[in-house]
Amino acid sequence: MLDTTTIPLAVLLFPGGLFALAFGLALKGLDRRVAARLQGRVGPPLAQPFFDLVKLARKRTMVPDIAAEPVFLGAPLIGAVSMLLCAALVPIPGVYAPNPMLGDLLVLLYLLAVPAVVLMIAGSASGSPFGAIGFSREMALMLAYEGPLVLVVAAVALRVGSFSLTDIVAYQQTHGAFLFDPVLWPALAAFLAFYPANLGIVPFDIPEAETEVLEGPLLEYSGPALGLFKVMSALKAVVVLGLGVALFLPLAPDGLAGLAVHLAKLVVLMILGVTLLRVSMGRMRIDQAFAFFLKWPLALSLLSLAIVALA
Amino acid sequence: MTLMQTLTEKAKNLAVRSPWIYRINAGSCNGCDVECATTALIPRYDVERLGCQYCGSPRHADIVLITGPLTARIKEDVLRVFAEIPDPKVTVAVGVCPISGGIFRESYAVNAEVDHYLPVDINVPGCPPRPQAIIEGVAQAIALWRQRI
Repeated sequence: MLDTTTIPLAVLLFPGGLFALAFGLALKGLDRRVAARLQGRVGPPLAQPFFDLVKLARKRTMVPDIAAEPVFLGAPLIGAVSMLLCAALVPIPGVYAPNPMLGDLLVLLYLLAVPAVVLMIAGSASGSPFGAIGFSREMALMLAYEGPLVLVVAAVALRVGSFSLTDIVAYQQTHGAFLFDPVLWPALAAFLAFYPANLGIVPFDIPEAETEVLEGPLLEYSGPALGLFKVMSALKAVVVLGLGVALFLPLAPDGLAGLAVHLAKLVVLMILGVTLLRVSMGRMRIDQAFAFFLKWPLALSLLSLAIVALA
Repeated sequence: MTLMQTLTEKAKNLAVRSPWIYRINAGSCNGCDVECATTALIPRYDVERLGCQYCGSPRHADIVLITGPLTARIKEDVLRVFAEIPDPKVTVAVGVCPISGGIFRESYAVNAEVDHYLPVDINVPGCPPRPQAIIEGVAQAIALWRQRI
């Protein structure tokens, strides 16, 4: 189990790295395609995010005169690398269990916060007023959703008695999935409110709102640097949805069938939880989103933690 | 070297399937802008199927649509925004105004023709042009862009 030679493989090839990136881009393409169909359009091909990435790699990166250049160019790199590490930390039930040397749920929690921090740094380093607005909105939103996330994770970990995702998956395989465990339903509801905010989709795409602040922190980015942000967001979709599966519904057979089941779960989650949500809702204001998170998800996750602690 | 060249060709073929479009209104009467929006937004002319995406930031743009006769008031800003767009890019002038000034051609307040100030690659004449014409202009721009990227 503690064979360290497989760690680079897990980070760079499977299930992190290339595999997660390819799957994440496919998920993004599916999302755009399904959204177009729901609006009565034909929509782009499934591989569109991949074309976008190749295009961005061939463009020039421009750095604004007033930007802090090392930070401006370093931020997307840090974001993409942190998500690369994250992808290797999420188990695929029946197929892949992360090496304990690599880290557990706590490391994942910290790494999951990096993209938001990176966006804040990028927004302020770019020197653009829209970037600054994006920065302040991102910070407010992050303060609002990080609390519930930590409490949800704490509730699940307390139920299992371990912060290792491998243990959490194993526990559910013997005791039944937490999706059907009423004790953890409030935590599930809180998680369902958390992930749209973390993935930055409507109703919670407030920091990058295209029609208000012109993509905020990403406004000044072009070429390969913007491409790295696209890589980061594709990997983040796989990580966050994969985390949801590992926490609440990790039941799957072993081997290739298990991989297929896992990927199918992510596709269903993407279409039902992301695409349908974003085409059917409008964007909230930052104060509304802040109040929402401090009211419902926080209360629900606290409730869940209390029930688990008492049960 | 040959492998490098084939890979570059392959990458080019993939890259041209992702042209992001940016609109600059250089003092247009909004007629052409409405047609541009129609081209992009309504299901009938969905350009997203070509991989096109309207972007809000000039830094993300590949194909620039310019409308209007470049009024004196907005000239400096248009030139500045145009300089912000990273190479390689292609410029499409939409409507008759960028070509000759259109109905504003004798006004003291316009700087048409636009190609005195900006490298216009493709003209889409019309007052305003139909969405089909704009799509054809964009398609020609993609072909030109392929040689530059």
